Amino acid sequence: MQLINKKKPNLKALLTTATCALLGGTAQAATANAEETWNFDTAFMHYAETDRVTATELIIAGKKTFANDKILSLKLTFDTLSGASANGAVAQPTPQTFTRPSGNGQYTIEGGNTPLDDTFQDTRVQFTGQWTQPLWKDYTVSVGGNLSKEYDYTSASINGNIAKDFNNKNTTFSIGTAYAFDSIEPEGGLPKPFSAMLIGDSNSPSFESEFNETRIGQDETKSTFDVLFGLTQVINRNMIVQLNYSFSTASGYLTDPFKVISSVNSNGEAQEYLHEHRPDERTKHSFFGQTKYHLDSGVLDASYRYMTDDWEIESHTFDLRYLVPFSNGHYIEPHVRMYTQTAAEFYQPFIKEDDSLPSFASADYRIGELDSYTVGLKYGMPIGNGNELSFRLEYYHQAPKSNGTEAFGVLNDVELYEPINAIVAQVTYSF
Amino acid sequence: MHKYNILLVISIMALSGCSSLGVQPWERDLLAKKEMALTSSPIDAALDDHIYFSKEATSGGRSFGGGGCGCN
Amino acid sequence: MSKKSGPKKPSLNKAIPKRKVQCISREDGFTLSFFSMASLCEVLIDTDDKALAIKMGDIAANEAWRIEDKYSRYDKNSLCSKINADAGSSVEIDEETYQLFQFVQQCYDMSDGAFDITSGVLRKAWFFDGSDNVPSKNAVNALLGLVGWHHVEYSAAHILLKQGMEIDFGGLGKEYAVDRTVLLLSEIANVPVLVNYGGDIAASGNRKNNQPWQIGIDHPSFEKNSSPHVTLKNGAIATSGDANRFLLKDGHRYSHILNVKTGWPVETPPNSITVAAPKCIQAGFLATLALLQGVDAEEFLSEQDILHWSIR
Repeated sequence: MQLINKKKPNLKALLTTATCALLGGTAQAATANAEETWNFDTAFMHYAETDRVTATELIIAGKKTFANDKILSLKLTFDTLSGASANGAVAQPTPQTFTRPSGNGQYTIEGGNTPLDDTFQDTRVQFTGQWTQPLWKDYTVSVGGNLSKEYDYTSASINGNIAKDFNNKNTTFSIGTAYAFDSIEPEGGLPKPFSAMLIGDSNSPSFESEFNETRIGQDETKSTFDVLFGLTQVINRNMIVQLNYSFSTASGYLTDPFKVISSVNSNGEAQEYLHEHRPDERTKHSFFGQTKYHLDSGVLDASYRYMTDDWEIESHTFDLRYLVPFSNGHYIEPHVRMYTQTAAEFYQPFIKEDDSLPSFASADYRIGELDSYTVGLKYGMPIGNGNELSFRLEYYHQAPKSNGTEAFGVLNDVELYEPINAIVAQVTYSF
Repeated sequence: MHKYNILLVISIMALSGCSSLGVQPWERDLLAKKEMALTSSPIDAALDDHIYFSKEATSGGRSFGGGGCGCN
Repeated sequence: MSKKSGPKKPSLNKAIPKRKVQCISREDGFTLSFFSMASLCEVLIDTDDKALAIKMGDIAANEAWRIEDKYSRYDKNSLCSKINADAGSSVEIDEETYQLFQFVQQCYDMSDGAFDITSGVLRKAWFFDGSDNVPSKNAVNALLGLVGWHHVEYSAAHILLKQGMEIDFGGLGKEYAVDRTVLLLSEIANVPVLVNYGGDIAASGNRKNNQPWQIGIDHPSFEKNSSPHVTLKNGAIATSGDANRFLLKDGHRYSHILNVKTGWPVETPPNSITVAAPKCIQAGFLATLALLQGVDAEEFLSEQDILHWSIR
């Protein structure tokens, strides 16, 4: 007997959809109500720089997939930060004394050392929620919000995204937008830009009023608006590519209230420490490309990001991961990341006291010229019933560099651009 | 502005050339694997993003770049 | 020579083997074997972890036995037997059975009615024992009224057969068990496995050095090309054929593949046809469907761009 075919049915395609429900659906029927349970990821991470900042972070994330591909994601993050970080002043061959940003006490740095402020001790809690669902045929929409709170900083944001599939779901185009509102209220208030740090004795009776002279307020805010355009394309059975363009503009208080810049004399000796001042607007453009390629022996993940902004910072990021599965279900994933950035237009490691003050200046090496690299390894294993345990160990090396500013006098006798080394250790358990 | 024109052209070319690339639904066996998702470890990505947001001048690119914290 | 002989009982009723799983070592791992659905069933697992292999073998065997106990027509206590015994009344079904019926419905539609799990009643007229006991036209026509999936009413919770109708999962049961086994094993560990239930086979996972599984098929066509192996990396193969079940009368070979619309065997199907597809249940359906095309079996599969091998 013949199939009656005015137009021959594509059996392969019909069969594919016919078995989807049977073999996908019954798996859930066999393990009662599997689709109504949550999938959790929990992770514990410790970050430690040699002699500087250490941070510990705990994440608990849950995801529930409802009928019709609706997904709810919730995440709770706790982190604590402690240790010392550079306060922006240059090293000197002689000891230096600074006042803590809160005004409560002084600290002294030995000669030859990069000045580090160790008053940082902060605990933060963050809650994130995201809802994703299909909307009309081929469209997926997602909305979410984020709330973060720490002792002196609060941030609230919302985001929305819409994506459309084309070409049999081989191509996806998406547009997303986000808005964040941050508020900072540091202990000791906000410093007047370029005001000199008051060095004295915090316990003396006149200190407090003199300290307040250097302050301009108790709190400030910052708004950030982002737009993201994304294109995802399946190349072939083994390969998928993503290209993103994002635009971000921040306005408000963008200065770091804890950082200073040294004002030095003609011999490079620091005379005063001036509070830094950054513009109240920053616009960034990022171009990001990523590919995932399934080789016979593993999965390759390679990505590149280029960023340029109106502070004249330009950066390039290369990231490469290679996941190698073993026959027993374990896997190993080596990882390499390379990063380089150019300095912000107003970055300078110090100010010459004889020069007129620029409109903006910051000695924060994080917006200076720097290179960094990361090498790491991740090891994962399944733990019965679809659970997974993984370990990640990474080494992060950051090398700040000169932006061309010439050193002179005693500044030639000290390390102006001290590199930073950090270890990241993480354990993740998914169930 | 020149770079935006280039990006627009690339996007249009990419979308129109895209119809010849891709796979049939039954060829998605490898692509469907968890390891082949573009962000296969969202927890690792979130932790790394937080580290690099607070130690470097660039954030985002893959997704929204807001730090949501006072660490930079 | 004409000889009247009575219907032969299916040989399954003799010496039903005990339910146990054997574990044998081999070069790259282990082979777990057991008996189910009237076939020798094997699960080949590439791992060094013997405890894991045994655990996976147990899971595979239990799933195969579960499906057999639920859907075998030969088991008096199975759901299939209950549905058949209660034909004429509504019988309650579960989610899994509903999804199988949904699949069966799609097969029925895709094959334009040729693939029909209610065709089992026709065996009351046809006994393919190699004898010349060909039934009369009247006997066949009487049974045709009880054939036709379009007469079946079902929902997510029930099935209602017309009185006298029967369903038979024989054309899908083993293939479904193969696919279910692969699914369950992949949830336990990410190791390469090959599941072979009496010639219905599926493989998954990346083997060491990217080598595929070597499957020997007793196909004369392969002997001609001196390549007795099919290599399989991922996906499934299923074989349908009438090599052992046919009637021979007056020099005419009546194959056991029945055309459900007429009740008579399909003319000149291949002796055996093997089809490759991503899932075993798909391969099984396509192999059966191809056989139903009779002389056009191979052309039918080629037109659909389906990988296959046949013996005539």
